[in-house]
Amino acid sequence: MKKLIFFILFSSLITSLALARSTGCKEGNCDNGYGKWVYTDKTTYEGEWVATKKHGQGTETWPNGYIYKGEFKESQWNGIGILFFPDGSTYEGEWADGFMNGEGTFTWSDGNQKKGIWKNGSFQE
Amino acid sequence: MEVSKNSFKTLSEPVKQFGGLVGIIILIFLTFFVLNNIFGEGDELVAKMKIEEERIAEERKLNKLISSLPSGVLVSFDGTDNFKLSDELYEAVCKATKLIPQRAIMGANFLNFRAHEIYTINGNKIDETFVKWDDEKNKCFAGFVVSGNNVGVDETVKVSGEALSFLSTGIDTRVYFIKNF
Repeated sequence: MKKLIFFILFSSLITSLALARSTGCKEGNCDNGYGKWVYTDKTTYEGEWVATKKHGQGTETWPNGYIYKGEFKESQWNGIGILFFPDGSTYEGEWADGFMNGEGTFTWSDGNQKKGIWKNGSFQE
Repeated sequence: MEVSKNSFKTLSEPVKQFGGLVGIIILIFLTFFVLNNIFGEGDELVAKMKIEEERIAEERKLNKLISSLPSGVLVSFDGTDNFKLSDELYEAVCKATKLIPQRAIMGANFLNFRAHEIYTINGNKIDETFVKWDDEKNKCFAGFVVSGNNVGVDETVKVSGEALSFLSTGIDTRVYFIKNF
């Protein structure tokens, strides 16, 4: 029984150490400057940082294939940016608080397009 | 009555014992018959057991197939650096998949702001997730349900779309991309 508890505790320690080593700021300066941050779910952000927040130009890559390239403000997608969906569809245009807000073009993977004004991820007819 | 009593007495001991044994067996059968009619489910139970056995066999078959797939992202569309699923594998993976990770939900929420709001307000809580194979459309659909109080109003939002990408961990598979646009 003691051996089992020791084994579980030891495994947890090793796992925590391995996770700690593979996540966090991996390159550059992630406080103020340019750096690369890796999250525990393998999402990565590479770009500009201001006061430990994603701010300026950067690229956020999700493990499931979403890629956002563009402006960040206060760690959120804000400004002009392009989002690549995993199937090849894209949205290029204005963003506010992490959503398609403003003028932008949505292009489906088959080439169809919808261009106009977007509000919180919805196209305004 | 007296005659039958006397004729019973005249019977030899082994015959009496055999008759008793047959009587007890009939009594046991009758008891079980009555109890089965009152409490038993009979054919219905057998049918349920057969369905369950078939489900377990199907699950084992799917698990074997899933463990044979390469670890990584499995997609049903033309993509780079990913394992492209054949039509048969797409159906099998869909039927074997139950999990939808957070990033897939966050991705689907890009096109559903109401769902995003409830999801965020409730601390990323999901009421229900589902992954279903549609035999008519020959496609895999996945989605989730979020509910909660959004600015004083109780809301329930169901987000659903085509599951086009999966992650194979080597042990199980997870929906990685729900196309709800």
